[in-house]
Amino acid sequence: MANKMVAMILAGGKGTRLKALTAKAAKPAVFYGGKYRIIDFPLSNCANSGIRNVGVLTQYESSELNQYVGNGEKWGLNGVRSSATVLSPKQTEEGSSWYRGTADAIYENLDWLERMNPDYVLILSGDHIYSCTYNEMLEKHVKSKADCTISVYPVAWEEASRFGILVAGKDDQIINFQEKPKKPVSNLASMGIYIFNYKIFVDYLKADAKKEDSDHDFGKNIIPNMMADHRKMVAYTYHGYWRDVGTVASLHAANMDLLDNREKGTNLYSMFAGNQILSEDPHSAPQYIGPKATIEDSLINQGAQVYGAAIHSVISGDTRIEEGARCVNTVVMPGAVLQKGAVVQNAIIGPNTLVAENQIVNGENGDIALLVNQKAARL
Amino acid sequence: MKDVIGLINCFQDPDLGGLTSHRTLASTSFLGRYAFMDVAMSNFSNSGIDNVAVMVRNHQRSILKHMGNMSSWVNNTKTGKVTILTNENGVLYPAYNTDLNALKENDYILYNSQASALVFAAPHIVATVDYGPVLDEHWARDESVTVLYKKVNDADTNFLGGYCFEVSPDGYVEKVTINKGKSKTANVSLETWILNRVILAKIVEESKKYDMSMTIGDYLRYAVKNKTMKIHAYEYHGYLRNFNSFKNYIRYSFELLQPEVASTLFRPEWPIFTLTHNTPPALYGPHASIANAFVSNGCHIDGAVSNSVICRNVVVGEGSKLNRCIVLSGVRIGEHVTLSDVVIDKYAIITPRHTIEGDEENPIYLKQGVIL
Repeated sequence: MANKMVAMILAGGKGTRLKALTAKAAKPAVFYGGKYRIIDFPLSNCANSGIRNVGVLTQYESSELNQYVGNGEKWGLNGVRSSATVLSPKQTEEGSSWYRGTADAIYENLDWLERMNPDYVLILSGDHIYSCTYNEMLEKHVKSKADCTISVYPVAWEEASRFGILVAGKDDQIINFQEKPKKPVSNLASMGIYIFNYKIFVDYLKADAKKEDSDHDFGKNIIPNMMADHRKMVAYTYHGYWRDVGTVASLHAANMDLLDNREKGTNLYSMFAGNQILSEDPHSAPQYIGPKATIEDSLINQGAQVYGAAIHSVISGDTRIEEGARCVNTVVMPGAVLQKGAVVQNAIIGPNTLVAENQIVNGENGDIALLVNQKAARL
Repeated sequence: MKDVIGLINCFQDPDLGGLTSHRTLASTSFLGRYAFMDVAMSNFSNSGIDNVAVMVRNHQRSILKHMGNMSSWVNNTKTGKVTILTNENGVLYPAYNTDLNALKENDYILYNSQASALVFAAPHIVATVDYGPVLDEHWARDESVTVLYKKVNDADTNFLGGYCFEVSPDGYVEKVTINKGKSKTANVSLETWILNRVILAKIVEESKKYDMSMTIGDYLRYAVKNKTMKIHAYEYHGYLRNFNSFKNYIRYSFELLQPEVASTLFRPEWPIFTLTHNTPPALYGPHASIANAFVSNGCHIDGAVSNSVICRNVVVGEGSKLNRCIVLSGVRIGEHVTLSDVVIDKYAIITPRHTIEGDEENPIYLKQGVIL
C-alpha cells in the first residue's frame, strides 16, 4: 500500500539557530551520529516503509544537499518504479520566485505530484531525527477515512508553546489546532508529518496559493483551513524517539543520546535490512585506534584515527585525534583534526575543522561550544 | 580506459587453511572492512579501467555475496561493467580447472571485444598499482606482454615461495625463479600481467595443443625459458605484500597497524572501494580500552582490545581481553574472555570466561560459526 503514497520532504530550511553549522549548508545536510546527515533519517524511513517515490524540496544552500540526495541511490531509491527527485525553485511561464512557505514549496511542484498521481501524499520534514516506518500511520489514515492525518508527539507541558499543538477527541479526531500557543491546552505536538488524500490536498494548495495574505504554511494556513471546513482530521500518536534538533545544544544532546539513551534510542543498531538507517559510504580507510589512545563510552566511525583520548564523544569518519589531544563529551564532525594537546569539552567541532595544537575549546556552565572552520580541509 | 579489460585472477589464490575452506582468498576478510579482491578491483577503478571480469576458480558463493550488485567499483554504472567468469567444466574436472581453460570457456571476452589489452591481477598480491603509466609504457614500447615486479631488499624474510625475475638491461624478463629466501634483494613478481588481446587469443588457441592443466603463468614461464616470447618487465614502487599463507595473513595484517606502513596502502587519492553494509559507527562502552587496533563499524566493544583487527558487527563483552587477534564479522565474545593470538572466523560465539591463548608462532584458528 505504501507505494500508493509518495513522500515530499521539506528540506529547504536554513536552521538559523545552528549558527555556523548552517552558514554553508542546509540544516538537513548537517552531520549527526558520526556517520549520518539528518536527512538520512526521513529518507531511510521512506525506504524502510516501502515508499518508492520521494521528492526532496531544497532551497537554502542547496547544492551540497542536492548532490547528496542525487538519484536516491544511497537509500536504494534508484530501483525500478522508484525515484528520488530534488525539487528546487524553478523558472516557469508565470515567472520565478523562491518558495514562499512550506505549502508553497509543494504547490510549486504540483506538476511532479501530477506525474506521480498517488492516492496519498506524505509530507515530511528533512530536519528531524527519528527511525520508524510510516505504514501504521497510513493504515490508520485509510481505516479512519481521514482527509488528513497528523503525526503527534507528547512533549513536556512547559515546552508545548514552542510547537503546533493539537487537541484530539473521540477516535483521535482532531478538534482543535493551535500554532505555538501561549497557553497550550494539550501537550500533543505536531511533528510536521502529514498524510493527505491527494485530490483534496491539491484543492487546498491551489486555494491557498491564490491568497495574497497567506503565509503559505502548513501549520498556519493549510491545516487551519481544513479544520475550518470540518474536514476529517485525525491524530496519530508517535511514541518512539524523535528529535527536532533546532539548536547547537539540542544537536549535541541528540548525539549524546546515542551513548546514554540507547534504550530509548534511535534504533541505529539494527543490523537487518528494513530498519537500518541508510547513508553514504565515503570509502574511508579502516578506523584505527593508536597504541596510546584512551577510548571510553564513545561512538567512532570508520575512517577515524584516534591517537589521543575520546571520552563520551561521537567521532565521525576521516577525523584525526592526535596524541595528547583530548575529546570529552564532544561531537567531532567528518574531516576534523584535533592536533597534539588540543582539548575539547562539551563542544561540537564542525566538518573539516582544525583544532590547533594545545587549543582549548570548552563549553562552560552547561553551554555547548561550537567551533567551525575549514582549516583541516587545507592541511 | 575503454580498450582495456581488467581481470581478477582467483585461479592462483593461495590456501590460508580454515579461512579459505569455504571461501576463496579474494573474498576473505582483509583489515576488517575489506575483502582482498577490493584492492585489486579498486586499482582497476582508480586507473579508469571500468570493464572488469572476475575469474573464479571455486567458492563462487562467497565471491557473489561480496560483489553484491557489482556496482561498488565501477566509475560509470552503464558504460562500465563487472562480470564473473567461471569454468563449468572445472567442476567436473578439477585438475583442468585452470585460468586458461576458464578463458577458453569464456572466450567471448576475447572475441566479442575491441579491447587492445587485458590486465590480470592476483588478489593475494596486495599493492596499489596505477595501470595508467604501465599501459602507457606498454604501448609506447609496442610490447605484447608486460609483467610487473618490485625490487625489494627483504626477500630473505618476505615473498618466500613467490616468483622472482631476472631482468635484462633493456627491460625484459630473462629468467623466472622462485624466492627461496637466499638473498635479500630480488625482483619480486606482482603476478600481474598485461597481455595484448590478440596475443592472449593466440595463447588460448595454441594451448589446446598442450597439457590441459597448463595455466597462463605456466605458459609465460615456458615462453621465457624457451625464448619464444619477449616479456617486458615494469618496475613498480609502492606497498607490496604477498598474503600467501595463514601466517603471512596474520603477519601482514598486523604490520598494517603501523601507521607508517598503512599510509603507503591507504592514500587519499587512491581509495579502496568495497561493498557497503550500512552499519552504524562502532560503539565503545564505559569499560572499553583499545590500543593499536583496526575496528570496523557495527562493533560494540566494552572490553580491552590491543594489537588486533576487528571486523564488522563484532561484540566484545565487559572484562574481556583480546591481544593479537583477528576477529571476523558477526563474532560475539562474552564477558571476561581472554584471547591472544587467535583468528576467529565469522559468526563464532565465545561464551563468558573462556581463555584461549596461542602464541605468535602458533596462532589458533577458530572456525566459522563455532560455539565455545
